[in-house]
Amino acid sequence: MAASVCAEQVAFRYPQHGYGLAPVSLTARSGERVLITGPSGCGKSTLARCLTGLIPHLYRGELHGAVWLDGLRTTETPLWRLAERAGMVFQNPAAQLLATSVEEELIFGLENLGLPPATIRERLEAAVAQFGLEPLRQRAPQTLSGGEQQKVALAAIMARRPPVLVLDEPLSMLDGTAAATLVTEMAALARAGTAVMVCEHRAEYLSEWPELRTVRLGEPTNQRVNRAENWHGEGLASRPPFTLTVEGVTVRLGGRPVLRELSFSARGGEFLAIVGRNGVGKTTLLRALAGLQKYEGHIAVEDGRPVLGLVFQNAELQLFNASVREELRYRLPVVDETFYAYLLAGLGLTPYETTPPLLLSEGEKKRVALATVLLRQPRDGVLLDEPSLGQDAAHKAMLVRLARGLTAAGRLVVVTTHDLALAAQADRLLLLGPEGTTAAGPPAQLFRDPAPWARLGLWVPPWIQVPGVAD
Amino acid sequence: MKSPARGKARRGAVATRLATVADSPLRQVDPRVKLALSLGFSLTVMLPLAQIAAALALYALLLLWGRLLPLAARQVWRLKWVLLAIFVVDWLFVSLELAATITLRLTLLAGTFTLFFATTTPGELRLALEWLHVPYRYAFSVSLAFQSLTLLEEEWHALREAQQARGAWSPPASWRVLLAQLGDWVALSVPAAVMTTRRAWAMTEAAYARGFDSPHRRPYRRLTLTRLDWGLLALAVAGGALLLVWRLV
Repeated sequence: MAASVCAEQVAFRYPQHGYGLAPVSLTARSGERVLITGPSGCGKSTLARCLTGLIPHLYRGELHGAVWLDGLRTTETPLWRLAERAGMVFQNPAAQLLATSVEEELIFGLENLGLPPATIRERLEAAVAQFGLEPLRQRAPQTLSGGEQQKVALAAIMARRPPVLVLDEPLSMLDGTAAATLVTEMAALARAGTAVMVCEHRAEYLSEWPELRTVRLGEPTNQRVNRAENWHGEGLASRPPFTLTVEGVTVRLGGRPVLRELSFSARGGEFLAIVGRNGVGKTTLLRALAGLQKYEGHIAVEDGRPVLGLVFQNAELQLFNASVREELRYRLPVVDETFYAYLLAGLGLTPYETTPPLLLSEGEKKRVALATVLLRQPRDGVLLDEPSLGQDAAHKAMLVRLARGLTAAGRLVVVTTHDLALAAQADRLLLLGPEGTTAAGPPAQLFRDPAPWARLGLWVPPWIQVPGVAD
Repeated sequence: MKSPARGKARRGAVATRLATVADSPLRQVDPRVKLALSLGFSLTVMLPLAQIAAALALYALLLLWGRLLPLAARQVWRLKWVLLAIFVVDWLFVSLELAATITLRLTLLAGTFTLFFATTTPGELRLALEWLHVPYRYAFSVSLAFQSLTLLEEEWHALREAQQARGAWSPPASWRVLLAQLGDWVALSVPAAVMTTRRAWAMTEAAYARGFDSPHRRPYRRLTLTRLDWGLLALAVAGGALLLVWRLV
């Protein structure tokens, strides 16, 4: 059978900074499943763009080797023809949604296929049903949660039914149940003949796919060491003990209640993980804690309002300077150079000090955004919205070490995440449901009790390891 | 206790705006007709004082029916200082009649396109432009720009929030609010430009990834004129034609 995708020694260098993709060859035939893995910044997203023809059609740079899609060489074929053969779901869903409603978002790609209106309607309805988008159908994509946006982005591509599907970290913003559902759907697509290629750090979800082929990319192509050094909170001023109290907090967005009468407390020096289904209000809660979101109720520490730095789920929003160095020092009158050096090393950013942050990988951007917050030493702690997004296993471990460093200095670390492996490392877990807190307690205790997870409709994968709990 | 957050919630603001638009009876009117109505009313700026006042009153009635009067009033209110300055200068240096005429003309112009922009989705704008034989790629770009206009305010909020989140900015809380806002404009203009460019690029890439440049595109929706549309269109065309004839003859 002819290969749907064939890449021969394909490599790419961006003109601005030279990093990109080291030479790699791969093929995928109809119905094959390929997992593309590798450390953060190794070029997975660049490879995905090469495979779908976006490179070189939309990106300038040095492309070596060749890619064929259904026998068509990508360099010599118009992009629209390639788009009919290969659909790509980008890593950042917020950036790829164009329309003013979810329905229009799905229709856009179908119109471009030249389908008759009746077929468009049929595929639209099928995609809405398949992804459970009926309640969101008339909502503006910009008003959805990150996970919901991810589902819409996937539906918009899958409705086009391309023979090759390239997904760049499709599970990163999905809760366990939604991730498992998506994996099942991708498997069904593969069985129906679609070549499915997935760049993913949460590879455990794909481990039960039969005949999954793994392509592992090497170290980042910049030839510089991208490893975080152990950092245990050195340089951080310590914070006297305090308690954060959240009492009866309600938030409405556009008249719709997102959080209802939420109450909990957390103490300084604690690593708290908040877990819940997509759209349950995790990001909204962090925004309220950071003072960015209007709310009814009470959020306070003993000294008054809490001072907590927030790293957004979409870290790109926080980055716009010409280099990592400038980004970190932006509007900072005095810089503690020792702490600055600790942070760069601790977050594995030293090699990128002069690189424009926007040219880094998603995982690296996230770490730069975290460094910008930490350098200001927020008094009470930090709030991290989906911090493991785009991070490989080594960097996730680094995140946990960093959280430990912060808590050792008396800071509160609050993390919202779908990554239960990360959540299992926290001191305490808070399960958030549509009606508020469903359960709270140490991970070892909560992971033993399936009831609260079932009430939330959250699936706990069997591979989750909780520290201190034997199998 | 109320939260310290200032300004509208970003995501909530978008949802509220779309809900307001959906409530208007003008939402059901064909975008081409609304464009004709807006253009027709904008032509009334050629009229002398008494007739301009009458046109303004007529337009206000239309907005009232369309439940858009408060929105249009807010838009005009934003220009209050400019309008006041023009009125005072014209009154002092020319005459009260000219000052009133110019001020009314500007007021009318400021609110004329409210009925179009507040009740038309970018998709409908694109369809209207395509009906006018504007090539699809340009119609799509204009509609995207139109959509982005409504997002600019949210982007600005996002940018300030991003700075606030990392402790690089605090909401101004003193009498020097205006000065502080001016400072924001200067300091945040570069990041805003970067952010807008980035968003535009990401949208371009996403559009091409879904076959935006396909020559085989086939629209799902088509515009059709109802009886109400025809009636309003006839009024707009007749009114505009009368004005032009009156002005030219």
